[in-house]
Amino acid sequence: MQEHLKNRIPQLSVTFFVALAAMLWTSATTLAQDKIVFGAPLPITGGLSPEAAKAQQGYEIWAETVNAKGGIKVGDKRMMVEIEYVDYQSSTPKAVQAAEQLITQKKVNFLFAPFGSGATKASSTLAAKYKMVTLAPTASSPQVYDKGNKYLFGIYTPNETLTIPLVNIVTKKDANLKTMAILARNDFFPLAMAKQMKQSASAKGIKVIFDEKFAINTLDHSATLTQMKAADPDWIFVTGYINDNVLIRKQMLDQKVTAPVVTMMTGPSYPEFITAAGREGAENVTGAAWWHPALQYKSDDVFGSTQGYVEAFKKKYGVVPDYGHASHTAVGVVFQAAIEKAGSIDPEKVRDALATLNAKTFHGPISFSETGQANSYEPPVFQIQDGETRIIFPDVVKQSEFRLNKE
Amino acid sequence: MIYVQVLANGIVLGCLYALIASGFSLVWSVLNIINLVHGSLIVLGAYLAWGLHNSFGVEPWWSLLIAIPPFFLLGYLLQRFVINRVMSAPVLVTLTLTFGLELIASNVMLYFFTADYRRLLLQPSLGSVEFGSVIIPADRLGATVLALLMTIALYVLLRQSRIGRAIVAVRVDSEAAKLMGVNVPNIYAVAFGIGTVMAGCAGTLMAVVFPFSPVVSTTFLGKAFVVCVLGGLGSVPGAIVGGLVLGITESFGSLFFGAEYAVTLAFSLLIVFLVVRPQGILGRWGFE
Repeated sequence: MQEHLKNRIPQLSVTFFVALAAMLWTSATTLAQDKIVFGAPLPITGGLSPEAAKAQQGYEIWAETVNAKGGIKVGDKRMMVEIEYVDYQSSTPKAVQAAEQLITQKKVNFLFAPFGSGATKASSTLAAKYKMVTLAPTASSPQVYDKGNKYLFGIYTPNETLTIPLVNIVTKKDANLKTMAILARNDFFPLAMAKQMKQSASAKGIKVIFDEKFAINTLDHSATLTQMKAADPDWIFVTGYINDNVLIRKQMLDQKVTAPVVTMMTGPSYPEFITAAGREGAENVTGAAWWHPALQYKSDDVFGSTQGYVEAFKKKYGVVPDYGHASHTAVGVVFQAAIEKAGSIDPEKVRDALATLNAKTFHGPISFSETGQANSYEPPVFQIQDGETRIIFPDVVKQSEFRLNKE
Repeated sequence: MIYVQVLANGIVLGCLYALIASGFSLVWSVLNIINLVHGSLIVLGAYLAWGLHNSFGVEPWWSLLIAIPPFFLLGYLLQRFVINRVMSAPVLVTLTLTFGLELIASNVMLYFFTADYRRLLLQPSLGSVEFGSVIIPADRLGATVLALLMTIALYVLLRQSRIGRAIVAVRVDSEAAKLMGVNVPNIYAVAFGIGTVMAGCAGTLMAVVFPFSPVVSTTFLGKAFVVCVLGGLGSVPGAIVGGLVLGITESFGSLFFGAEYAVTLAFSLLIVFLVVRPQGILGRWGFE
């Protein structure tokens, strides 16, 4: 018998290893199926690459934190998170191609929308076409959501939730401020913000006496600022991205262009604005954004609270997150809440869960209006005072009173 | 009075554009290469000035001098060991090569410096210089004067020095220059080195004036291209004239048509020149 077994050792060994390999393969296949893949079209190269770098950090910290805790709970099992990135080179037409590539070739389960309102609107048709549940991290313009697309959701509240509080704060402080100058980057979001501010200001009796746009990649604003100075407004409202804000603020100081109120969207919400614009340049500049690290929300998500998120982010990347980082983490958190609520990754069930969601997140309470845009929180308004950003609205998290430049 | 202020803004801007373009123009005319890595070299110069200022308190004016040896060496070696291999290849090959170098340079800078925008902050601020009601920021004025000096220095180098005449000779007719004993490959490398120095020095001054990040390289490159076409290829005075035309056009374009159309107007001018006077205002191929 022993002799017989001895003779069969090579044969048994081969059988054992074949079986083992088959088991490992099966196990790996099972693992591969036990994950949820999210698609993220990002402007990794080109003019918007600074935003993409932040977006990627925001997504990654969510994915890592979720996976470290065993993944997303789907019914009675847990599924790991994986994010597929495709670069669309800061070109909106390519953003649509990138999103389609993620849906049709990479076969992602869910999609994060590309950066900003313009690219989100352009690619949103894909959400309806492929019934792909899409969550937009940075699209605030209501025009993105007004086409009845039931698969598109966004976590930014409408632009007016930023401009109306600003106008209220300023007019409450000094009712004699009656004129405004608006300078906007010729881009979807800055123009939408400028239009909204014009409406909000006009509603409170503030007259817009200067209204100009500047081209993307403008290197010099001195001629425009010379005209603005001649108009002598009470309130200067600039809307663009951080590089525009820093350059314009510097040139305003150089040419001694000032006003009792200077508001910039959205540069001052980034910590690097103070570094780049300098203490003098940043002082008293007001701004608003959808999130700020000084907020104090308690949450049911993987971070536990706003502070928990800020600490985790600082630990991983060594910097304080800004609203650009946070919104990209928040879309992950919201998707997770919806999937866990649905108990499934079936797109229709997750869509329905999102539509009726009421999640407590580190970004604030998130629920959506009928159009799919978040309507559940008040974005913070802030001002740079004594070299640091202080929240001046809403009252529950207010850190300081609003100051006029002449004070 | 607003027109005088706008004119002053345009002149200051134009001189900065001239410095951005002079090195680009030199390389294009001597080596017949459209150097797409030029914008990234300007940004690299800006990071050098920013790093020296933040780490060692070196003023950007000194960084301009410090930048000369390393940038010359970088440009010389880049041409000698990389670009020289495709000197006789069709223009598309050299264009592709410098495009590849631009991608590498831009991504290496993104890796090390991130995409955050930086600006060299002079403390205390130099303030502004006022001529009546015309206000010119002192840092821009300083950068403008240095930009003019650098451009004039390049002009003198090309006209008066032995190496400068050799560069001009190679530009006029490289075969004839070779027969006259000029070491043409060496001159190519020297010219590229000088072009790189001009880019690096421009960057040290740009750091004071504009916020920068690796992604702005294409904006600088676009300006250099327009200035070259307007002013005339291979002409240092042409770079100054082209820079001034672009700066003043953008300034007044912004005043009369709105800021959003200033760049459109400048590029419309470029198309007009390409059709009507393709050699540019002062361009005379092969002459200084």
